[in-house]
Amino acid sequence: MKTLILISHPNLEESSSQQFLVQSLPESTEITVHYLEGAYPDGQIDIKKEQELLKQHDRILFQFPFYWYSSPPLLKHWQDEVLEEHFAFGYRGNKLRGKEFGLILVIGVGEKEYQTGGQEGYSISELTKPFQAMANKTGMTYLKPLSIFQFPYMTEEEKMQLLIQYQQWLMIDRPDSLKAREQWLIQELENTDQQLIEADSSAFILDEAIEMIEDNRLELDELRMHIDNDHQ
Amino acid sequence: MEDKQWMLAQLTDLFHKSRDYKQKALLMAAKELIEEQEKRKEQLQGELDGTLWNPGNWNG
Repeated sequence: MKTLILISHPNLEESSSQQFLVQSLPESTEITVHYLEGAYPDGQIDIKKEQELLKQHDRILFQFPFYWYSSPPLLKHWQDEVLEEHFAFGYRGNKLRGKEFGLILVIGVGEKEYQTGGQEGYSISELTKPFQAMANKTGMTYLKPLSIFQFPYMTEEEKMQLLIQYQQWLMIDRPDSLKAREQWLIQELENTDQQLIEADSSAFILDEAIEMIEDNRLELDELRMHIDNDHQ
Repeated sequence: MEDKQWMLAQLTDLFHKSRDYKQKALLMAAKELIEEQEKRKEQLQGELDGTLWNPGNWNG
Protein backbone atom coordinates (compact mmCIF):
# COMPACT_ATOMS: atom_id res chain seq x y z
CA MET A 1 0.00 0.00 0.00
CA LYS A 2 1.39 3.39 -1.01
CA THR A 3 0.55 6.32 1.22
CA LEU A 4 0.67 9.99 0.29
CA ILE A 5 0.75 12.59 3.08
CA LEU A 6 -0.14 16.10 2.02
CA ILE A 7 1.04 18.45 4.75
CA SER A 8 -0.27 21.98 4.88
CA HIS A 9 1.03 24.45 7.45
CA PRO A 10 1.92 28.14 7.07
CA ASN A 11 5.15 27.65 9.00
CA LEU A 12 6.22 24.04 9.31
CA GLU A 13 9.66 24.82 10.73
CA GLU A 14 8.23 26.52 13.77
CA SER A 15 5.53 24.00 14.59
CA SER A 16 6.72 21.60 17.30
CA SER A 17 3.86 19.17 16.64
CA GLN A 18 4.46 19.06 12.87
CA GLN A 19 8.20 18.69 13.41
CA PHE A 20 7.54 15.83 15.81
CA LEU A 21 5.38 14.09 13.19
CA VAL A 22 7.95 14.60 10.46
CA GLN A 23 10.66 13.15 12.71
CA SER A 24 8.35 10.23 13.55
CA LEU A 25 7.96 9.16 9.93
CA PRO A 26 8.88 5.52 9.39
CA GLU A 27 11.66 4.69 6.96
CA SER A 28 9.56 3.31 4.15
CA THR A 29 9.60 3.65 0.41
CA GLU A 30 5.83 3.21 0.49
CA ILE A 31 5.29 6.65 2.02
CA THR A 32 5.52 9.97 0.19
CA VAL A 33 5.49 13.24 2.12
CA HIS A 34 4.47 16.32 0.22
CA TYR A 35 4.62 19.70 1.98
CA LEU A 36 2.39 22.05 0.01
CA GLU A 37 3.61 25.44 1.28
CA GLY A 38 7.19 24.27 0.64
CA ALA A 39 6.43 23.10 -2.89
CA TYR A 40 4.30 26.12 -3.82
CA PRO A 41 5.45 29.21 -1.89
CA ASP A 42 3.73 31.42 -4.48
CA GLY A 43 0.50 29.39 -4.37
CA GLN A 44 0.76 28.39 -8.05
CA ILE A 45 -0.10 24.70 -7.97
CA ASP A 46 1.11 22.33 -10.67
CA ILE A 47 -2.21 20.58 -11.20
CA LYS A 48 -1.00 17.78 -13.51
CA LYS A 49 1.88 16.92 -11.20
CA GLU A 50 -0.45 16.75 -8.20
CA GLN A 51 -2.93 14.57 -10.04
CA GLU A 52 -0.13 12.19 -11.06
CA LEU A 53 0.96 11.99 -7.44
CA LEU A 54 -2.57 11.11 -6.36
CA LYS A 55 -2.85 8.40 -9.00
CA GLN A 56 0.34 6.75 -7.77
CA HIS A 57 -0.93 6.26 -4.20
CA ASP A 58 -3.61 4.16 -2.52
CA ARG A 59 -4.09 6.08 0.72
CA ILE A 60 -4.30 9.88 0.64
CA LEU A 61 -3.87 11.73 3.93
CA PHE A 62 -4.27 15.43 4.69
CA GLN A 63 -2.16 16.54 7.64
CA PHE A 64 -2.74 20.04 8.98
CA PRO A 65 -3.48 22.21 12.01
CA PHE A 66 -7.22 22.56 12.52
CA TYR A 67 -7.69 26.32 12.02
CA TRP A 68 -11.22 27.69 12.45
CA TYR A 69 -12.62 24.20 11.93
CA SER A 70 -10.90 23.84 8.59
CA SER A 71 -7.53 23.59 6.88
CA PRO A 72 -4.93 26.29 6.15
CA PRO A 73 -5.80 28.20 2.93
CA LEU A 74 -3.33 26.48 0.60
CA LEU A 75 -4.86 23.06 1.20
CA LYS A 76 -8.30 24.43 0.33
CA HIS A 77 -6.79 26.04 -2.76
CA TRP A 78 -5.17 22.69 -3.61
CA GLN A 79 -8.59 20.99 -3.42
CA ASP A 80 -10.15 23.66 -5.64
CA GLU A 81 -7.42 23.33 -8.25
CA VAL A 82 -6.47 19.65 -8.25
CA LEU A 83 -9.76 17.86 -7.63
CA GLU A 84 -11.29 19.03 -10.86
CA GLU A 85 -14.16 17.63 -12.86
CA HIS A 86 -13.29 14.73 -15.21
CA PHE A 87 -10.46 13.81 -12.83
CA ALA A 88 -11.99 13.50 -9.37
CA PHE A 89 -15.70 13.51 -10.26
CA GLY A 90 -18.11 13.89 -13.14
CA TYR A 91 -17.82 12.22 -16.55
CA ARG A 92 -14.79 9.87 -16.48
CA GLY A 93 -13.76 11.52 -13.24
CA ASN A 94 -12.96 8.28 -11.49
CA LYS A 95 -9.22 8.60 -10.80
CA LEU A 96 -9.63 8.57 -7.03
CA ARG A 97 -12.28 5.87 -6.88
CA GLY A 98 -11.40 3.02 -4.55
CA LYS A 99 -8.62 4.87 -2.75
CA GLU A 100 -8.62 5.62 0.97
CA PHE A 101 -8.77 9.11 2.39
CA GLY A 102 -7.99 10.29 5.92
CA LEU A 103 -7.21 13.30 8.07
CA ILE A 104 -4.38 13.83 10.51
CA LEU A 105 -5.49 16.80 12.58
CA VAL A 106 -3.45 18.79 15.05
CA ILE A 107 -5.91 20.50 17.35
CA GLY A 108 -5.21 23.16 19.96
CA VAL A 109 -8.26 22.62 22.15
CA GLY A 110 -8.84 19.58 24.40
CA GLU A 111 -10.77 16.57 23.13
CA LYS A 112 -13.59 16.84 25.66
CA GLU A 113 -14.59 20.28 24.32
CA TYR A 114 -15.58 18.80 20.96
CA GLN A 115 -19.02 17.58 21.91
CA THR A 116 -22.46 18.93 22.66
CA GLY A 117 -22.14 21.07 25.79
CA GLY A 118 -18.38 21.38 25.39
CA GLN A 119 -16.65 24.68 24.71
CA GLU A 120 -16.60 24.01 20.95
CA GLY A 121 -20.07 22.50 20.90
CA TYR A 122 -19.61 20.17 17.95
CA SER A 123 -17.75 16.92 17.43
CA ILE A 124 -14.77 16.50 15.11
CA SER A 125 -16.95 14.22 12.96
CA GLU A 126 -19.47 17.03 12.51
CA LEU A 127 -16.85 19.71 11.86
CA THR A 128 -15.02 17.67 9.24
CA LYS A 129 -18.13 16.92 7.17
CA PRO A 130 -16.82 18.79 4.05
CA PHE A 131 -13.84 16.39 3.91
CA GLN A 132 -16.14 13.41 4.32
CA ALA A 133 -18.32 14.74 1.52
CA MET A 134 -15.24 15.21 -0.66
CA ALA A 135 -14.22 11.58 -0.08
CA ASN A 136 -17.77 10.48 -0.79
CA LYS A 137 -18.05 12.44 -4.02
CA THR A 138 -14.71 11.21 -5.33
CA GLY A 139 -15.40 7.57 -4.41
CA MET A 140 -12.76 7.29 -1.70
CA THR A 141 -13.23 5.38 1.55
CA TYR A 142 -13.12 7.78 4.48
CA LEU A 143 -10.89 6.57 7.32
CA LYS A 144 -11.25 7.47 10.96
CA PRO A 145 -9.21 10.61 11.53
CA LEU A 146 -6.08 10.67 13.65
CA SER A 147 -6.83 13.64 15.92
CA ILE A 148 -3.97 14.98 17.99
CA PHE A 149 -5.25 17.21 20.79
CA GLN A 150 -3.10 19.73 22.66
CA PHE A 151 0.29 18.39 21.62
CA PRO A 152 2.30 20.81 23.83
CA TYR A 153 0.64 19.38 26.95
CA MET A 154 1.44 15.77 26.12
CA THR A 155 3.74 13.82 28.44
CA GLU A 156 6.81 12.08 27.01
CA GLU A 157 4.97 8.78 27.28
CA GLU A 158 1.98 10.14 25.36
CA LYS A 159 4.28 11.48 22.67
CA MET A 160 5.87 8.06 22.24
CA GLN A 161 2.41 6.52 21.96
CA LEU A 162 1.54 9.11 19.33
CA LEU A 163 4.71 8.30 17.38
CA ILE A 164 3.72 4.64 17.16
CA GLN A 165 0.08 5.44 16.42
CA TYR A 166 1.15 7.78 13.62
CA GLN A 167 3.44 5.17 12.07
CA GLN A 168 0.69 2.58 12.22
CA TRP A 169 -1.75 5.03 10.68
CA LEU A 170 0.54 5.38 7.70
CA MET A 171 1.44 1.74 7.26
CA ILE A 172 -1.34 -0.59 8.39
CA ASP A 173 -4.51 -1.48 6.55
CA ARG A 174 -6.67 -1.49 9.66
CA PRO A 175 -4.76 0.32 12.41
CA ASP A 176 -7.59 -0.29 14.90
CA SER A 177 -7.25 -4.04 14.74
CA LEU A 178 -5.20 -5.68 17.49
CA LYS A 179 -4.14 -8.48 15.16
CA ALA A 180 -2.88 -6.00 12.53
CA ARG A 181 -0.95 -4.07 15.17
CA GLU A 182 0.61 -7.30 16.46
CA GLN A 183 1.88 -8.18 13.00
CA TRP A 184 3.24 -4.69 12.49
CA LEU A 185 4.97 -4.65 15.86
CA ILE A 186 6.59 -8.05 15.31
CA GLN A 187 7.98 -6.83 12.02
CA GLU A 188 9.31 -3.66 13.63
CA LEU A 189 10.92 -5.61 16.49
CA GLU A 190 12.59 -7.90 13.95
CA ASN A 191 13.98 -4.93 12.05
CA THR A 192 15.01 -2.68 14.92
CA ASP A 193 18.73 -1.93 15.15
CA GLN A 194 20.02 -3.86 18.16
CA GLN A 195 23.27 -1.92 18.06
CA LEU A 196 21.39 1.00 19.51
CA ILE A 197 20.70 -0.89 22.72
CA GLU A 198 23.52 -1.12 25.23
CA ALA A 199 22.67 -4.61 26.43
CA ASP A 200 24.22 -7.95 25.47
CA SER A 201 20.94 -9.77 25.86
CA SER A 202 18.89 -7.50 23.58
CA ALA A 203 18.62 -10.03 20.70
CA PHE A 204 17.45 -12.76 23.06
CA ILE A 205 14.87 -10.54 24.77
CA LEU A 206 13.47 -9.21 21.50
CA ASP A 207 13.10 -12.79 20.22
CA GLU A 208 11.33 -13.78 23.42
CA ALA A 209 9.01 -10.77 23.15
CA ILE A 210 8.09 -11.72 19.58
CA GLU A 211 7.42 -15.29 20.69
CA MET A 212 5.21 -14.08 23.53
CA ILE A 213 3.16 -11.89 21.18
CA GLU A 214 2.75 -14.83 18.76
CA ASP A 215 1.80 -17.26 21.56
CA ASN A 216 -0.73 -14.80 22.90
CA ARG A 217 -2.25 -14.53 19.43
CA LEU A 218 -2.63 -18.31 19.23
CA GLU A 219 -4.37 -18.33 22.61
CA LEU A 220 -6.64 -15.47 21.58
CA ASP A 221 -7.63 -17.20 18.36
CA GLU A 222 -8.29 -20.43 20.26
CA LEU A 223 -10.48 -18.67 22.84
CA ARG A 224 -12.41 -16.95 20.07
CA MET A 225 -12.92 -20.28 18.33
CA HIS A 226 -14.36 -21.86 21.51
CA ILE A 227 -16.72 -18.93 22.00
CA ASP A 228 -17.91 -19.06 18.40
CA ASN A 229 -18.45 -22.80 18.65
CA ASP A 230 -20.56 -22.34 21.79
CA HIS A 231 -22.80 -19.94 19.96
CA GLN A 232 -23.57 -22.39 17.20
CA MET B 1 1.59 -14.43 34.38
CA GLU B 2 5.13 -14.62 35.77
CA ASP B 3 6.43 -14.91 32.21
CA LYS B 4 4.58 -11.75 31.36
CA GLN B 5 5.97 -9.85 34.33
CA TRP B 6 9.48 -11.01 33.47
CA MET B 7 9.07 -9.95 29.86
CA LEU B 8 7.70 -6.53 30.78
CA ALA B 9 10.63 -5.99 33.13
CA GLN B 10 13.10 -7.00 30.41
CA LEU B 11 11.51 -4.65 27.89
CA THR B 12 11.61 -1.83 30.44
CA ASP B 13 15.30 -2.54 30.90
CA LEU B 14 15.92 -2.39 27.14
CA PHE B 15 13.89 0.81 26.99
CA HIS B 16 16.30 2.46 29.42
CA LYS B 17 19.34 1.09 27.60
CA SER B 18 18.25 2.16 24.13
CA ARG B 19 19.89 5.29 22.72
CA ASP B 20 17.24 5.91 20.08
CA TYR B 21 13.95 7.75 20.63
CA LYS B 22 11.98 5.81 18.00
CA GLN B 23 13.29 2.54 19.35
CA LYS B 24 12.29 3.51 22.88
CA ALA B 25 8.78 4.23 21.58
CA LEU B 26 8.73 0.81 19.90
CA LEU B 27 9.82 -0.99 23.07
CA MET B 28 7.16 0.83 25.05
CA ALA B 29 4.58 -0.13 22.43
CA ALA B 30 5.66 -3.78 22.72
CA LYS B 31 4.99 -3.67 26.47
CA GLU B 32 1.60 -2.06 25.94
CA LEU B 33 0.67 -4.57 23.26
CA ILE B 34 1.48 -7.51 25.52
CA GLU B 35 -0.66 -5.93 28.28
CA GLU B 36 -3.47 -5.39 25.78
CA GLN B 37 -3.30 -9.01 24.61
CA GLU B 38 -3.40 -10.16 28.23
CA LYS B 39 -6.48 -8.03 28.89
CA ARG B 40 -8.16 -9.34 25.73
CA LYS B 41 -7.43 -12.90 26.84
CA GLU B 42 -9.07 -12.23 30.20
CA GLN B 43 -12.11 -10.73 28.48
CA LEU B 44 -12.49 -13.67 26.11
CA GLN B 45 -11.97 -16.14 28.95
CA GLY B 46 -14.71 -14.29 30.85
CA GLU B 47 -16.97 -14.41 27.84
CA LEU B 48 -16.31 -18.11 27.43
CA ASP B 49 -17.07 -18.82 31.10
CA GLY B 50 -20.22 -16.70 30.81
CA THR B 51 -21.34 -18.65 27.78
CA LEU B 52 -20.79 -21.95 29.53
CA TRP B 53 -22.90 -20.77 32.45
CA ASN B 54 -25.62 -19.36 30.24
CA PRO B 55 -28.79 -21.33 31.17
CA GLY B 56 -29.86 -21.12 27.53
CA ASN B 57 -27.08 -23.54 26.68
CA TRP B 58 -27.77 -26.05 29.48
CA ASN B 59 -30.04 -28.22 27.45
CA GLY B 60 -27.74 -28.20 24.47
